[in-house]
Amino acid sequence: MTAHVASVGSTAYGRQPERSSRELFAEAVAAAFDDTDLTPTDLDAVSVGNFMGELIEDQGHMGPLLAEHVGAREAASVRLESACASGGATVRQAVSAVESGAADAVLAGGVEQMSAADLEHVTDALANAADDVYENGQGLTFPGIYALMSRRYAHEFDVTREQLAAVSVKNHANAVDNPLAQLPKELTVEEVLDSKPIATPLTRYDACPISDGASVAVVVSDGFAAANDLDVSATIRGTGQSSDAVALQDRPSLSRTPAAERAARAAYADAEIGPDDVDVAEVHDCFTIAEVLALESLGFYDRGEGARGAVEGETAVDGRLPVNTSGGLLGKGHPVGATGVGQLVELTKQLDGRHPNQVADPSIALAHNVGGSGASTTVTVLGGV
Amino acid sequence: MTVPAWFERFTDAIAAGDQRALGCEACGETTLPPRQFCPACGSTALTPRPFGDRGTVLSFTEISVTIPRFHGETPYTVVVAELDGGVVLTGQLRDATADDVAIGDPVALGVEARDDGPALVTFQPAEE
Repeated sequence: MTAHVASVGSTAYGRQPERSSRELFAEAVAAAFDDTDLTPTDLDAVSVGNFMGELIEDQGHMGPLLAEHVGAREAASVRLESACASGGATVRQAVSAVESGAADAVLAGGVEQMSAADLEHVTDALANAADDVYENGQGLTFPGIYALMSRRYAHEFDVTREQLAAVSVKNHANAVDNPLAQLPKELTVEEVLDSKPIATPLTRYDACPISDGASVAVVVSDGFAAANDLDVSATIRGTGQSSDAVALQDRPSLSRTPAAERAARAAYADAEIGPDDVDVAEVHDCFTIAEVLALESLGFYDRGEGARGAVEGETAVDGRLPVNTSGGLLGKGHPVGATGVGQLVELTKQLDGRHPNQVADPSIALAHNVGGSGASTTVTVLGGV
Repeated sequence: MTVPAWFERFTDAIAAGDQRALGCEACGETTLPPRQFCPACGSTALTPRPFGDRGTVLSFTEISVTIPRFHGETPYTVVVAELDGGVVLTGQLRDATADDVAIGDPVALGVEARDDGPALVTFQPAEE
């Protein structure tokens, strides 16, 4: 059975401290069903990516809570947590359910409310994605972990802060025309370098913002699409997922992300394509170094070469391989549990020819979503219809 | 927060100069406690193995925005160092600032008790 994306929906990403997860989620679901003749009662299952509901909103059990809230009370519902890869994991679960024949119509969704807490507490909540004893207990924060990776990478490959900052400049510029984006901002390399230090060598604009938002995708079987005369927007060509040690210190290298390499290999094999076939990608750029590592893990660049993408314009909207045309996590924002599904929303629009930063006639799109500092990764390959 | 007993044993041993990792009898991998399975090969044949109190800096960062349990302590520097014996540990830099260290520098391992959480692993600059 082949899985298709029947429709997608998303809230804008940004600081919305007065809005709860259920309000955000319902807005995204309403947008997705606006486009179809389906209703949420047609769903067999609802899968919700969410990371910090307990920590920020005192709310666990988000699966049935949100399913009921969007009119899908009887659907098999579950909340999936895989840190910042929660959204990607829900997509993969939805696709697996449809491809196996276990379900015909699944809502893959993600939501996060982060800004209701102050910066120290949301930093603490994010730190739950790391090893509490060996990392957080030693004073390490989440940006601190990526700072360690960034410094090590720059040391091994003679890459400068200016070259890494080019990723932030590119992605913020892409956010300018995206109505869903939190930080539509023209930045210079100097502004990135001179922004407030968070964890050296990373500054404010090397990092994604704190965001609230929700994104959903309705994933259906080809049989269901035909029976309901659905005009689907994209086809799931392949998926991959892999994990690694949670603590950075327990991995052989501080400057590579093997779980992403494995997830990519699996997704390429599933889709029967290679990295050269990808026309547009959304990758997990929670920090500038993360996009560089992603480009290498996905096979777009050799080790040590990933920074060339943004510096030389190859990953710009009009480049050889446009990456994060949405603005990415840096510019569009990163409501943690929603991000992996939000990538699917953006890529579906690209394949449908209705993206605000439309690239020329793409036929293969790729999403890469990372949890923690690389301990979990999903890769999804989409094709046009 | 609670301090897990295994970590207290681990840091107590560092304080006593008798720090131990776990060596895998099957594949030779060295890992940190607590483990019942070797993460490399899945074997349960793990035995304590001493590791050195000297190492080199793999990477470091000065933290400016922190989490509540380190409120009021910024800025401080966190180091990841590889110790003699192949163990990699994360800890806070002492007797120096981030400006004083570089990747590859030698460091000495230590431990520091904290009132409100697990002990800190520490590193301080060492002679070559």
